Amino acid sequence: MKKTFKRVLTVFLAVMLVAGLGILPAYADEAVTLKWAVWDTNLTTYYQPLIDAYTAANPNVTIEMVDLGSSDYQNALITQLTGNADLDVVCVKDIPGYANLVKGGYLIPLNDVGVDTSVYGGTIEQITVDGSYYALPFRSDHWVIFYNKDAFDAAGVAYPTNDMTMAEYDALARAVTSGVGAEKVYGAHYHTWRSAVSLFSILDGKHTVVDGNYDFMKDTYELILAEQNDGICQDYGTLKATSTHYSGVFFNNQAAMLNMGTWFIPTQIDKIKSGESLSANWGIVKYPHPEGVPAGTTLGTITSVAVNAASKKQDAAIDFVKFVAGPEGASILAETGTFPAIKTAEVLDILAAQDGFPADENSKEALATVQVYLEMPMHDKAADIERVLNEAHDGIMTYAFTVDEGIAMMNEEVSAILG
Amino acid sequence: MQGNTGSARSSALGSRWQRRKKTLVAYSFIAPNFIGFAVFTLVPMIMAVVLAFLKWDGSWANPIEFVGLDNFARLLHDKKFNQALVNTVAYALITVPLTMASSLGLAILLNRKIFARNFFRTMMFFPYVASMVAVTAVWNMLFNPAMGPVNMILYALGVDKLPRWSADPNWIICMGTVILFSIWKYMGYFMIIYLAGLQGINPELYEAASLDGATGWQKFCNVTLPQLRPTTFFVTVMLTIQCFKVYDMFLMITNFGPGGRTRVLVSYIYDNAFVSRDFGYASAVSMVLFALVLLVTLVQYHGNSKLDG
Repeated sequence: MKKTFKRVLTVFLAVMLVAGLGILPAYADEAVTLKWAVWDTNLTTYYQPLIDAYTAANPNVTIEMVDLGSSDYQNALITQLTGNADLDVVCVKDIPGYANLVKGGYLIPLNDVGVDTSVYGGTIEQITVDGSYYALPFRSDHWVIFYNKDAFDAAGVAYPTNDMTMAEYDALARAVTSGVGAEKVYGAHYHTWRSAVSLFSILDGKHTVVDGNYDFMKDTYELILAEQNDGICQDYGTLKATSTHYSGVFFNNQAAMLNMGTWFIPTQIDKIKSGESLSANWGIVKYPHPEGVPAGTTLGTITSVAVNAASKKQDAAIDFVKFVAGPEGASILAETGTFPAIKTAEVLDILAAQDGFPADENSKEALATVQVYLEMPMHDKAADIERVLNEAHDGIMTYAFTVDEGIAMMNEEVSAILG
Repeated sequence: MQGNTGSARSSALGSRWQRRKKTLVAYSFIAPNFIGFAVFTLVPMIMAVVLAFLKWDGSWANPIEFVGLDNFARLLHDKKFNQALVNTVAYALITVPLTMASSLGLAILLNRKIFARNFFRTMMFFPYVASMVAVTAVWNMLFNPAMGPVNMILYALGVDKLPRWSADPNWIICMGTVILFSIWKYMGYFMIIYLAGLQGINPELYEAASLDGATGWQKFCNVTLPQLRPTTFFVTVMLTIQCFKVYDMFLMITNFGPGGRTRVLVSYIYDNAFVSRDFGYASAVSMVLFALVLLVTLVQYHGNSKLDG
């Protein structure tokens, strides 16, 4: 009798438990927690405002950030996703990373979620794979020339303009170089990234870095190496050996011009306020361009958001992604000084009106672009190709290879990758 | 009689149970460590062996293909793999004897009764404990090609063509920069091991040698070195293994440049696995590294036991 009672009780409790679990998802519809994979939560100013604005409008949603660190973000992310980590929304840092995520089937296509793709300035087309796109850009930076007005004044050289050919830019860099030793002001500064040097060569729109033939890079490499040999810019090998960050060079008035992405603008503004940047008298102009190409042609990078294919809360995740990459998200980003992917006139006004942004008309005008080429176009072998190009770049800039040898190496190895 | 057998059997059973209990207790003590080892080392190691025969990009959504020995066949024609292999072997061949010689020399020097002996011992050991990132940063500053103190001294001495160290296109110089660092970083540690070995040598042996009229050098060759053989064996094995799996030093000092000139096997494994997401090929390279280390260790082991016998 006692035994029977025990059995009945056990079965009853088991049934209650299963029933209880069944009810849970019904409640889950009420309150949703989305996990968002990001990097550098403590250094990035826009995550929290985005989350606050979204959760204010959708009180049932909670967004939790999962910080995977910046230096190895894409590898960490893909490892997490392979291990079925509980992530709903993911940030995508770069195009090779995006290509790997798409190839691995980690993201859902976003074609049918009802987004007007025309506002993204052609970037959606550049990340479309076989008719589908798997991410929406929310940040988009393009390359400009930062310049130090004091250095130009001291050298008695006119400021750079919003319409410079490569030859004019080179002549300017040579004219403004002055001083020796610790007092030396270099006319130009190129960071050790490949994109800072070799991508001048893709601005004519005739070639891309996934073509498999890199003969078109010869002139660009020769131009920059000539500057390096003549002491117009700092030596690549030294910069690399000392891990010199470009910001320090610009802050300390060691470079008259610095080619860099618009992501450097908020940093420069902040560091002038904190007194760390001594180059308080500065401006920006449009990127130099090859002969016959309109001014405003430049390089760009996008940072995008996507939805994990294994997420159990895809609808909620899609809604959040649309918000972050949409016009509302763009305004919030612009308020923090960050360049959103949607660049309406209103957004540009917000950016140029920031406290600390250079007051001259040219600087504001430099924010507008005509044609933006992604630093790395979408290609399913993007990561492999990038590896070869980076190595060849390193070899060319340190004189380990001649320009011709480096280009021959790129041609040979990338052709092998493309098959 | 019968009762006796019964109690004997039950006591036999009892002792078997006792023994089993003891074994279980022993296993329970090993378990925490062994489970950790199995999950984080043993299983991944077996996986790596299996992966070497597969083609897989690391995503569950994509098919895993069995490719047999294809990955190994690819190695034969891969110029970058060859470069990494040559670099790793060359690095080990140069670094192991030089580190051994310098740590032994230091140990002998600091085994004497000299002024501030403990201070110097600590100083020599310091690079080993210091963080790799911090000391490579200092090293890079010292060997900065443009205005590093080392090049300034060379310039003052009238050297015309200053070496560009980690950024030098000459393989010997960029490789040498890392090797120099490696010796400096690790000689302190092996010096301590040699010191322990030296202090274990019976002083009577030296006395006997002196009585026979042996010179310092003869004593070193005929007493110190043979007596240190077990220590030397340990040092060689540890150093060789360490040299073959080198990665961090090259990453921090040359970043495998210029233009891939200082690529090593481990960096090539990383690139293939986590940049190109070709886990099969990366595992094949790891198998080569594994075989290489195993082979060298076996040879050393064999050589040592032959001398022992």
